Amino acid sequence: MLLSFSEKQIGALLPAFLHIDKQLNISAMGPGILRHLPHVRIGMPCAEAFNIVNYDTAQFLQEGVNVQPVSLIARDIDVHLSGAAIFHEAGCLLAVRFAITEEMFADSSMDLSDFGHADPVILSTMLIVLQRAMLEESQANAIELAHARQRSTDLLERTSRVAGYMAHDFNNLLSVIRLNTDRLSRQFGKDEKIGKLVEIIQEMAARGSEITQSLMTLSLQRTDMRQPLSVDQVIHDNMGILDSVVGPNISLKLTLNANDRKCVVSYSDFLNALINLLINAREAMPMGGQIALSSSVGVGLIKGDGDTDADMAQSDSYIAIQIADTGVGMSDALLSRAFEPQFSSKPNGTGLGLASVRNFAVETGGDVWLESAEGKGTTAYLHLPILKTVAPLVAVSSAVAHAGASDALGKKRILLVEDEPYALEALVEMLEAEGYAVTPCASGEEALIALGQDAYDVLLTDVVMPGQNGTEVARDACIAQPSIKVILMSGYVPDSAALQPGWLFLHKPMESAKLLQLISA
Amino acid sequence: MYGMIHRAMRQMVHEELGEEAWLALEQKLEIGPTELLTGMVYDDALTLEIVSEAAARLNLSVDQTLEAFGQYWVRFAGQGSLSSIMKFTGQNLASFIANLDRLHLAVGSAMPGARLPAFATLESAPGHLVVEYRSDRVGLEPFVKGLLQGLMDRFHACGEIHVVHRGEKSILFDIRYQDKD
Ligand code: HEM
Repeated sequence: MLLSFSEKQIGALLPAFLHIDKQLNISAMGPGILRHLPHVRIGMPCAEAFNIVNYDTAQFLQEGVNVQPVSLIARDIDVHLSGAAIFHEAGCLLAVRFAITEEMFADSSMDLSDFGHADPVILSTMLIVLQRAMLEESQANAIELAHARQRSTDLLERTSRVAGYMAHDFNNLLSVIRLNTDRLSRQFGKDEKIGKLVEIIQEMAARGSEITQSLMTLSLQRTDMRQPLSVDQVIHDNMGILDSVVGPNISLKLTLNANDRKCVVSYSDFLNALINLLINAREAMPMGGQIALSSSVGVGLIKGDGDTDADMAQSDSYIAIQIADTGVGMSDALLSRAFEPQFSSKPNGTGLGLASVRNFAVETGGDVWLESAEGKGTTAYLHLPILKTVAPLVAVSSAVAHAGASDALGKKRILLVEDEPYALEALVEMLEAEGYAVTPCASGEEALIALGQDAYDVLLTDVVMPGQNGTEVARDACIAQPSIKVILMSGYVPDSAALQPGWLFLHKPMESAKLLQLISA
Repeated sequence: MYGMIHRAMRQMVHEELGEEAWLALEQKLEIGPTELLTGMVYDDALTLEIVSEAAARLNLSVDQTLEAFGQYWVRFAGQGSLSSIMKFTGQNLASFIANLDRLHLAVGSAMPGARLPAFATLESAPGHLVVEYRSDRVGLEPFVKGLLQGLMDRFHACGEIHVVHRGEKSILFDIRYQDKD
């Protein structure tokens, strides 16, 4: 089949084509050649305008047959053409195209019209340029998204901080209301009408307190408090939950011998630690087995690694909780990594369970570790300091500290620090009515002076105060008077890093009864 | 439409009214960076919402805004990383328009799912073009008019653009122009 096309049609397909006649002169050319090589004219010998790469131009054109690949270079302009030479009886059609690179896109005088419609090189080069442009924009997208996320995190943080401050201030107000209604009740509670009014106010204050609790939960503030808790009691009270954690295939055997000794812990943190240890034991026994949960009182070093840390050397009495399973056990390699935050030996494990148990144990002044024999099972040891024996971190001898704290009449001495005057007044009155000798201070600085002048059994201090804050006062008090009992009161639960083991914490607004219980505990 | 178009719209509002105006628009439409992802295809309804919200802020009608955006798009594409491909598409008004489909052919391969228009030059004489625009979208006549105006600006030409025929899926534009310089 012979197809014949006009010059114009060939020019549309191959804008840079050339036709060379038998005399080796240019007899036709495409519009691209006209535009970009204006010195090339019809009738001109091809060899005058072009060199054929690797060949003698005249010889190539004379001797060629059929179809051959060809590359041309224009003689006096830096233009390359490549394609095929098609030989026929009337001469040779140079079906060539301009060679173009991506870089030439930007500064070449050529444009799409100089290339054939179906030119794949042009299409793919354009594609590359477009994709590069999209990639650049996508990088900008990614940065914008990251900024947007940062902004919303910042906003959330700011909002939650403000919510936290508001809840804290509101708690302080509720605290004053609470303490003063207790006062009213003590003094005039016998009058039925007043008693009723006091009840109403107290109930409203309690509701207000629930609102602040929710606000604090929302603002990601911790709302639980550290308090002396009987380990055995907590385990006993939660048997239902603990049983369901281990599941039906595993029997949970309890041996509670801590004799109701207490540790200062947050209820929920302690329970979570137990649950995490039980989950760990359960996971080691996919086919079922037995877990023995026991508690006892231990004496000696609290730490598992025998680290004779000076801090802990005095904590000679602790509650030892053991959770022993009859599971697969752990290799030394697993054991050494079990408490790493992101570590999990299970494919779907989050790896957070044991790490949080360790945080809890360390914050409480205790320790946790595992011992295991492959094929026999693993035992988790959780040691927590017993309330009475928790000693302050650094014992500095002080004349005052040795002098004995109780006053001449044998009353317990309380150093009370509270910057809110109405709360201070109400607390002083209440504590004195209960028979304590109270030294009131309106600031941390006043308290430090008082600590230098007298010995105290108890430091009862607000946490958030201008100047010296409550945890700083408590730290100094423990140094000056190592046997002092520290009770912190706040709407906030302070950062646990700022707390020392054994310090008690009371959430505001507090009930007088709860406070008195802590003081006398 | 592709997020790339939304980004150009944002750029136009930035330049005309400032960043605050765009942020207010985002807030009103409850959109953000996730609606401006270059390589994402969004529902045309969202694109139109953005245009009409921008119109309200620019104190223009939606059609006027579409036209302004068409004109702006040519400038937008003429800068930055798309500039080389714009240059390569054509170096005068007639050849650029003649090559638009080839440009969009490459766009179509780089951006799957794009619904691209077709342009054909029905008449071409010095200073005069009749251009047919075909699309399966409706309502973009002012946008195309703006684009053609933008192209005249690009090639330093001035003149007039009139719609001479509106078919079911096509619109004929008559462009009479002369070079400014
Ligand atoms: C580098 C330059 C260009 C790029 C990357 C580009 C890309 C695009 C993209 C992504 C769309 C949207 C398709 C969709 O999301 O469904 C589009 C639509 C469109 N483009 Fe372009 N374009 C460019 C230049 C132009 C120019 C200069 C014109 C001038 C006439 C033009 C006319 C249009 C029209 C009229 C539409 C609307 C589609 C329709 O009618 O359905 N484009 N283009």
